[in-house]
Amino acid sequence: MSDHILHAEHVDHAEHDHDDHEHPKESFISKYIFSMDHKMISRQFLITGIIMGTIGMAMSLIFRLQLAFPNMRFSFLEGILGHWAKDGKLDPNFYLALITIHGTIMVFFVLTAGLSGTFSNLLIPLQIGARDMASPFLNMLSYWFFFMSSCVLLFSLFVKDGPASAGWTVYPPLSALPSAIPGSGMGMTLWLVSMILFIGSALLGGINYIATVLNMRTKGMKMTRLPLTIWAFLMTAVLGLLSFPVLLGGSLLLVFDRSFGTSFYLSEIVAEFAGGIERTGGSPILFQHLFWFLGHPEVYIILLPALGITSEVIATNSRKPIFGYRAMIASILAIAILSFIVWGHHMFITGMNPFLGSVFMLGTLIIAVPSAVKTFNYLATMWQGNLKLTPAMMFAIGLVSFFISGGLTGIYLGNAALDINLHDTYFVVAHFHLVMGSAAIFGMMSGIYHWYPKLFGRMMNETAGQIHFWLTFIAAYCVFFPMHFMGLAGVPRRYYANTAYDQFNVFVDMNQFITIAALIGGAAQIIFLVNFFYSMHKGKRSVQNPWKSNTLEWTAPVEHYHGNWLGEIPHVYRWPYDYSKPGAEHDFIPQNIPDEGQTDPMQEPHVAEVERRVKVDPVVA
Amino acid sequence: MKISNTLTKSAFLLVILFSVTLSLVTQTVNAGNKHLKFNYADCPDHKTKLAGLTLNNDKNAAGDRIKNTWIKNFQTIVKNGSNKLKIIDLNKENTSTTFQYLSVVQVKSLKALIKTESENPAFATFIPVIILQKVMSEAEESLGSKINWLLIIVVILLIMVIFLVISILSRISDIQGKPAINWNSLNSKFSLAFILLGMLAVVWEFGAHSKLTVFNEGPASEHGINYDNMFMITLGLTGIVFIITQGLLFWYGYKYKSDGKRKALYYPDNHKVEFWWTIIPAVVLTVLVIKGLLTWTQMTNHSNKEARRIEIFGYQFNWATRYSGADNKLGSHDFRQVGKINNLGIDTNDSKAYDDVIVVNELHLEVNKPVLLAFRAKDVIHSAYMPHFRVQMNVVPGLPTYFSFTPTVTTAQMRTKMDKPNFDYILLCNKICGAAHYNMKMKVVVDTKAEYEKYMSAQTPLVANKVSKPKAVVLK
Repeated sequence: MSDHILHAEHVDHAEHDHDDHEHPKESFISKYIFSMDHKMISRQFLITGIIMGTIGMAMSLIFRLQLAFPNMRFSFLEGILGHWAKDGKLDPNFYLALITIHGTIMVFFVLTAGLSGTFSNLLIPLQIGARDMASPFLNMLSYWFFFMSSCVLLFSLFVKDGPASAGWTVYPPLSALPSAIPGSGMGMTLWLVSMILFIGSALLGGINYIATVLNMRTKGMKMTRLPLTIWAFLMTAVLGLLSFPVLLGGSLLLVFDRSFGTSFYLSEIVAEFAGGIERTGGSPILFQHLFWFLGHPEVYIILLPALGITSEVIATNSRKPIFGYRAMIASILAIAILSFIVWGHHMFITGMNPFLGSVFMLGTLIIAVPSAVKTFNYLATMWQGNLKLTPAMMFAIGLVSFFISGGLTGIYLGNAALDINLHDTYFVVAHFHLVMGSAAIFGMMSGIYHWYPKLFGRMMNETAGQIHFWLTFIAAYCVFFPMHFMGLAGVPRRYYANTAYDQFNVFVDMNQFITIAALIGGAAQIIFLVNFFYSMHKGKRSVQNPWKSNTLEWTAPVEHYHGNWLGEIPHVYRWPYDYSKPGAEHDFIPQNIPDEGQTDPMQEPHVAEVERRVKVDPVVA
Repeated sequence: MKISNTLTKSAFLLVILFSVTLSLVTQTVNAGNKHLKFNYADCPDHKTKLAGLTLNNDKNAAGDRIKNTWIKNFQTIVKNGSNKLKIIDLNKENTSTTFQYLSVVQVKSLKALIKTESENPAFATFIPVIILQKVMSEAEESLGSKINWLLIIVVILLIMVIFLVISILSRISDIQGKPAINWNSLNSKFSLAFILLGMLAVVWEFGAHSKLTVFNEGPASEHGINYDNMFMITLGLTGIVFIITQGLLFWYGYKYKSDGKRKALYYPDNHKVEFWWTIIPAVVLTVLVIKGLLTWTQMTNHSNKEARRIEIFGYQFNWATRYSGADNKLGSHDFRQVGKINNLGIDTNDSKAYDDVIVVNELHLEVNKPVLLAFRAKDVIHSAYMPHFRVQMNVVPGLPTYFSFTPTVTTAQMRTKMDKPNFDYILLCNKICGAAHYNMKMKVVVDTKAEYEKYMSAQTPLVANKVSKPKAVVLK
């Protein structure tokens, strides 16, 4: 480690002494492509994630058109999709391919790599006070595995029989047998290759994040002085490290079933249907166990970083310490641990032993307790605050709102009995798009608006950001809230059209409304994209600490140096949430400001002040 | 205007990129053969009408001859006009359903096959095209392409206008030296407006749309009553939490916006408050867990020996039912016999199977009579979902699953109750299973005892001569 720091400092000096162009270490390739600087890798993750997200969103708009107007022809679709939309009519097989790839892209490529990859890379070294990651080389590999994985997945869109179409959960036998659905041919093979590369990326990244957080904190940065973002990223990495290998194993067995004639997941399938070899003795449910053993922690791999970012953004912009810092850490830990014993709630109706179902139900509903604690703590942080309603703050508030709405419907679905009639309906679609999709995307957006000055040294346009927020926020609710009612009427997800069902035809209007809302939401993202890429070069230059924040990344210079700080790494003397501290000159005290006589911030004598203010405030008193 | 130029350029680039990269790939005769084999594997009933259904036996010379005959017949049928096409239409579920859902690539491969097999290539291309056009004709409504392009252009223009406004605003704020819009106060007002209008919208939506749900007419099964109770309790509790927390969130967003004068309260901790808001959710959830466990245990109890056994067999893309007959025992089955004539793979050596009755695509239940559904799948995982009965169970190849329940409302009663004379219960597939997943449904009829017996006596058991009188099929 010390070698690395020396090396980094050497580079810093070199940069100052010589012109950039003459220095061999700063060639275009080493600076922008095979960069080992965590800040550059973070940008690479972010931009790749944004591109993947745009593709995933465009796909959702296409199948939303189909769902809203099942009898209409959109001739422009033929121009885009060719034979998959002959005469402007979406092919049912391609519809399934679209929902599959949409799910895969959003869950893995945007909300796992795009979110965790971007902000773990950017913030871990900067917020704990390190020059770079523990292993910059592994970090670079992690990005390039992710990049290859993205390329393979996008390439699979162009194979003859179409990309994987068995749903993003790729349950065999549907995903194992090309005779079951065309997408399970070459497309599925590429999906698996892509996923295996992706897991490689996630593991390389995860090891690095954990090693960095545990070993490379600057002097004075105790674990109890870490910002909640870092706690969230740390637990995310631990979750990924423990669960992704299981999916890797599961995927490899699926590769064997598909390509080498084994029957891990296949049972009682005649030879004619299974590529000429009779398959029996395996269990299709085994795959579901392996998949959801990753799949459920994956939900929290997505959500925890978003919650960590929100904690930081809400505290900074409320100008208040985060309420219940230790309770927040405890709830992160509780959620992380519990997330490993609840995967079975995705499988209540697979015919599992009812007793096993009861156990999974118990675990699932217990998770609601730490989640509720987090929500209450956010509310308490905003209470009596001095809110700066920046775009980042608005997105953080939006996240809390989605987290409540989607979290509450989780109490229905986690209940094994209620799940019987709600499983795989639009109720589920509404639930996870709110709590995992929208909430995590809003966390990511909040992070982008908040740390854009750190990423690119410039500010994003605020007005565009606010318009982006309100359009996206309202559109997301308009899209997902009505879906609950479709689910309660028994409309199944992944249906190409509902026209064959009398009792579902009443939802035609609702489907059209949802699609129009989705199109507006999609258009709002164009505002974001333009703002994002335009501000990169044309935005206003940022000051060093634009949000008057306490954490260490704002003590680093606006310009990027490989090594982050030009001089010595700042030391840490206090926790990161000393906002509006009584007696202090400003309403923020950065972590590197010495404070000799500081006691535990939790125990300080602020009680009298609190009591006085509580009496004044009629809302809570 | 620089932005708009780049926008237009990038939009054009994207469209060109997509259309160029997606291209048709030529299909081989072998691929067509494969698709025919898979899609026509199980239609024994129509052998006489369409010889091509036996295409599976194409290993020997006879099979080849039949294949040729079929192709010719098919051509004749198509050639002779729509009258004969009705044969296909009538048996659509069992014969040509899968033709509908073949992708264009697959249809192309079929064409290639037919072309090679046919003596007159001129006719060959008609077959898939005509069937495809039939499907397409259902999609008569169409928007002109011009309107679509116009819409896109309008959206792009709209976004350009937004950006123009934004850039003008930022110019103004640069000149004035302070932000042109005070987003802080604007957002706080928006927050208040959002929560008020949002809550109104939620109330309106509950009023307007809850009557479309299956909870409106109440459950049609015995356990459904408990299910609905559980649901309503959860709805009540979560509804209270929803209103309070969302209300506070946006109220705080309104009330505590920065005004430049106030200082925030330094308030990092309060153990008492935290204790209570951990304990209260925990207690409420305990109530939900206990109630949920009771409901779950009741719903998953399949031990009723009196229940009538019926097998539900799922396959791409249809359902078959097998009634256990007088002995209330389903004959055993063997997956190796699935296909050909024995569609469900029933063990012909098992005498318990002789009185079994197989019906495709319709399920009859007797009201107030417990039934034990045994599920079996042929190819991939399906899920049998009957929303009105609060019943769902996955149908997994190689893994027997069960669900037992008691229907309590006949179809006729439900029709009166809902005031919909055409209403029918349904069993639909709720696990993605392939292209026609969305069409894989079965009508469920709940009969009175008399109606049920009448219906069953009209069905033929598997081995008819084993049972002297058809009525004997329904004992009890």
